[in-house]
Amino acid sequence: MTRGMWTRETVALMLLAAYLPLALFWAWHGGAEALGRFALAAVIVAVWHVVFLLARAQAPSLSGMIVALAVAMLAPEDLGVIRLALGLSFGVVLGELVFGGWGRNVVHPATVTLSFLGFGFPAFAWPGFDAPVAWAAIPAALIGIATGTMPAAVLAGAAGLGAAALLLGAVPQAVLFAACIVLVLLVADPVASAATTPGRWVNGALYAALVILFARGWAGAAPAQIAVSAALLTSLVAPLLDEAALALWTARRKGRHGRT
Amino acid sequence: MTAARATWSTLTDPLVRQNPVTLQILGICSALAVTTTLATAVTMSVALTIVLTLSAGLVSAIRRHIPGTIRLIVQIVIVASLVIVIDQVLQAYFAEISRALSVYVGLITTNCLVLGRTEAFARHNPPFPAMIDAFGNGLGYSLVLVTIGGLRELFGKGELFGRTILPLADAGGWFTPLSLMLLAPSAFFLLGLLVWAVRTILPEQSEAREHTPPPSTEPAE
Repeated sequence: MTRGMWTRETVALMLLAAYLPLALFWAWHGGAEALGRFALAAVIVAVWHVVFLLARAQAPSLSGMIVALAVAMLAPEDLGVIRLALGLSFGVVLGELVFGGWGRNVVHPATVTLSFLGFGFPAFAWPGFDAPVAWAAIPAALIGIATGTMPAAVLAGAAGLGAAALLLGAVPQAVLFAACIVLVLLVADPVASAATTPGRWVNGALYAALVILFARGWAGAAPAQIAVSAALLTSLVAPLLDEAALALWTARRKGRHGRT
Repeated sequence: MTAARATWSTLTDPLVRQNPVTLQILGICSALAVTTTLATAVTMSVALTIVLTLSAGLVSAIRRHIPGTIRLIVQIVIVASLVIVIDQVLQAYFAEISRALSVYVGLITTNCLVLGRTEAFARHNPPFPAMIDAFGNGLGYSLVLVTIGGLRELFGKGELFGRTILPLADAGGWFTPLSLMLLAPSAFFLLGLLVWAVRTILPEQSEAREHTPPPSTEPAE
């Protein structure tokens, strides 16, 4: 995707378009307070992008708005400006910008921010999600798949296992809603998820499995906390899944041709 | 004159320019584990500096008599005996801190820093320079430990040496502690940021790139 109109910024724009239904429903339910949080997060992210533009000549990216949206939606409530700025600076700088900007990061910067805020300030409550906002994750995923910016196999893997768990009644509804939103916002990110098709299937299934495990075994965890923790672990494992998929492919090819 | 200067640079080089933790990334296992409070960090620093200095002196004194094939065993025996002495002293006089440090005093035996200095420097140099070098490295290690320990205790609990510096919100103050600072990952983050800062100020410390980035595909404007 390096020729023609498909540059990094096109991908970021398409992702933003995919998140639009989710963002609109959330802003509609949250009102002015939600928009204020998003604006604050966007300003902090933009400042860091400009700092790295000036210090290291790294082109700023519209993906920062995705990070701001994800953090504004999922961050613990009533944190205050300073704590949000601290967590967001940590996530954006150490999660993304030091690696060279969006596209070279290992973990989604919003995942880093949310984990930092969650572990750093356990006293603040995680947000809950109403049904309409959670349902809006479905059009977001569909647009993402249609434009090719969200890995379909990740979404399918998670949805498959999630549906099975739902039929067995293994997860409460609140966890399911939070898990859907986090799946779309953090897990099905084209950079932080696995890059090979088998790796993506396992990536999505692993996320769903971790959510089910945490929902059943982690006493006292909020739904959003469960989903964010599962997203963090999944994106840390993603490179390993790719490595395994490539090793399998090499081994199969060796068996077929007698050489690599 | 030059000898004095050489001794001085042997002592001060490991503080920042050749710091064993931030440049050589040695001994970080204990550096991460004992830095939740400043008191344990200081105790660990003192213990390691004493063990390092004495063991460097002992190894250096018998350096011509150590058979090359079993030199590691000899060095570890010397280090381990000193560590046991230190551990017993801590248990006798600082029982509480000794409990907080748990096994990490015992693990000084296997600290890469100690073996690294005895193996790389003390084995080839007379006792006095060897002890100066070991003491300098101990100080460099202590500097990093005290910095990280201080930051973690200050921002994790609002205290230094158990005395309140930043009044907590629970007790009527304004500071909300960052609980993450008391968990192990924060030591990694702080150490990483410290290494980053040091290498930004002293660019000659940064390592060569492992990969060269591909040429930019975007047309130059």
